[in-house]
Amino acid sequence: MTAARRATIEFLLDNLVWLMLIVVLIVFSLTVPHFFQFGIFTNILEQSTFVGVMAIGLAIVIISGNLDLSVESTAALSAMVTGLLFATQGIGLGLTLDPAWLLLPVSLGIAMLVGALIGFINGFFVVRVGMAAFIVTLASFIWVRGLVVAISGGRSAQRLPDAIRVVGTEDILGIPLLAWISIACFVIFSILMAKTPFGRYITLVGGNAEATYRAGINSNRILWSSFVVAGLLAGVAGWLLAIRTSGATANLGTGMLFNAFAAVVIGGISLKGGIGKLPGVYAGVLLLYSIHTAINLMGLPAHYTQVILGGLVLAAVLLDTLKLRLREKLL
Amino acid sequence: MTRLARTLIGAAFASAALVSPIWAQDKGTIYYMVPTLLDEFQTESVNAIESFLAQVGYETVTLNADNKTDIQQSQMNDTVLLNPEAIVIAPVDFNALAPSIEEAREAGIPVMIFDRQITSTEVDFTSVAGTVEIGHVAAGEIQRLLEEKNGSVSGKVLQVLGDPGDPYTLDIQKGFEERMADHPEVEIISLPALQWEASNAGSIVSDQLLANPDIDLIFVHAAHLAVAAVASLESAGKEPGDVMLVSSNGAPVGLDLIRQGWQQVEVEQPLYAQAAAIAMFADKVVNGEEIEPGSYDVLGLEAELTIEEWGPNLKIPGAAITSENVDEPRFWGNLTPPSDPIEPVE
Repeated sequence: MTAARRATIEFLLDNLVWLMLIVVLIVFSLTVPHFFQFGIFTNILEQSTFVGVMAIGLAIVIISGNLDLSVESTAALSAMVTGLLFATQGIGLGLTLDPAWLLLPVSLGIAMLVGALIGFINGFFVVRVGMAAFIVTLASFIWVRGLVVAISGGRSAQRLPDAIRVVGTEDILGIPLLAWISIACFVIFSILMAKTPFGRYITLVGGNAEATYRAGINSNRILWSSFVVAGLLAGVAGWLLAIRTSGATANLGTGMLFNAFAAVVIGGISLKGGIGKLPGVYAGVLLLYSIHTAINLMGLPAHYTQVILGGLVLAAVLLDTLKLRLREKLL
Repeated sequence: MTRLARTLIGAAFASAALVSPIWAQDKGTIYYMVPTLLDEFQTESVNAIESFLAQVGYETVTLNADNKTDIQQSQMNDTVLLNPEAIVIAPVDFNALAPSIEEAREAGIPVMIFDRQITSTEVDFTSVAGTVEIGHVAAGEIQRLLEEKNGSVSGKVLQVLGDPGDPYTLDIQKGFEERMADHPEVEIISLPALQWEASNAGSIVSDQLLANPDIDLIFVHAAHLAVAAVASLESAGKEPGDVMLVSSNGAPVGLDLIRQGWQQVEVEQPLYAQAAAIAMFADKVVNGEEIEPGSYDVLGLEAELTIEEWGPNLKIPGAAITSENVDEPRFWGNLTPPSDPIEPVE
């Protein structure tokens, strides 16, 4: 096999998820009524924002060789704290700042702080105490959601002020601001993972923690920071979610963990750690939400929606497995 | 901070209104099986049932099933061993709980059904608004709104269900579509918001506004979904009234949306009356006394008690809340618990 041919095949396999996305979009455009229009594509971008941002953090933790099942609940907590402090109706306290634009950075900062704190706690138990990440983050998944119910009393906070809502209502070049934020997050963290020591260490730790430690890298600190980053990004996802829905309910974000995991796996991140790139995760998220949107537009009977969604996710993961086999065979 | 102070004071008053004297709690313990605490109706039902049962002399212990049938079944099994005076249950699944209910009744523990009707097995008392009937009321209001807008009962309605695995939403859909079947010129597009999650409802509305820009009205099966629907309408550049909105369950957020002009009708489940009825009939149920069919006044609402195959069944009519009556304190969404004490039925 020539070097050029080999490079082409490698490029295609590395970006198979993007090809899958393009094929799916073409098929849906041809077969699903009303699918092929600019507004639907921007809807897909916008709707994939929350799981997308959440999936970046999840992917980083998985690349580092761990798991974080708490991102969904962490996002819900950040959303509820945002709603509780700044929403003007329901249980919202309607805090105001002068000038009003300060609400935007302050609310984002608080949401990130809440998320980072949960990530820090997860990291503490995994790295310092030596507990299994699966158990620690499963516990966090439960207690953090419980905390959401506790601080809200099961009630909802509604109507965020315009100074915050602007993120959910404005667009740039016809693409919603929310979508730009998720694109920016993917660009920043893709560069961070590919071009900085932090990103390389995360991948190294996930590939072989022992060897990384022997190479003089503080693998514990790297692992711990991966949990903090995942929590922080979940906090951002929750903040965006609160903006999208103009408030927060106690069950906000329920089910997003499944979508985030599916996107990460479809995106080519190995659950064993050490392998994967973030752009693929973004393609995975877009693929998932293309499917969601097509189902919405097809108006399928309610009972079959989950069956179809699960089946399509399985098909996507199956294709990814075939890709790995093909790579082994050809390269 | 004024708002914070107001909120705290308001919460204190609401708590005080729902707290009853400890001396009244001397008739024993009743367990309340609440299906979830992730929605405002259920959260307020806990406050109301605990408060009203205390007023007639019972202490209430509430167990939350987190929307999981298996957990509720386990809770029933455990509670039977504790031999309470009675069990009040709002089942997660309308039929899956039947064996557990039969087991409790065989053990001599009366079972009362709250809000979510079970007809597949005998129970000691049922207090419901009727989920199918909520669909009927919504259909009537939607027909009225469409006629006012289009001159006839015609147009396009987007129906956003809750989770498709929840019989509650399927019953509302059934009732709604039963009544709309007489109007084939109304096109109904039905889609589920998986797990009752608000952003799922928002996504459905965003997509459907593009696919069907001529949607006249959106009917969502819970008020918290209406908030996400409004956020999507706002993002799409719509103004209040451009697309009509109808919701059900009567939660505070739905009432707020009516006041803002985004929502036209909220179909209320009369939570306080349903809970008050449980307390009114508790003595008769606990003592195994006969319950007479007929009309009963429950917090000012005329409720009809019938003896059905599954036992005494009290149906309290749901109300349509509009901008005309949204501020009336009788609606639970205004979170003003009734001030008059609950009196047991003689």
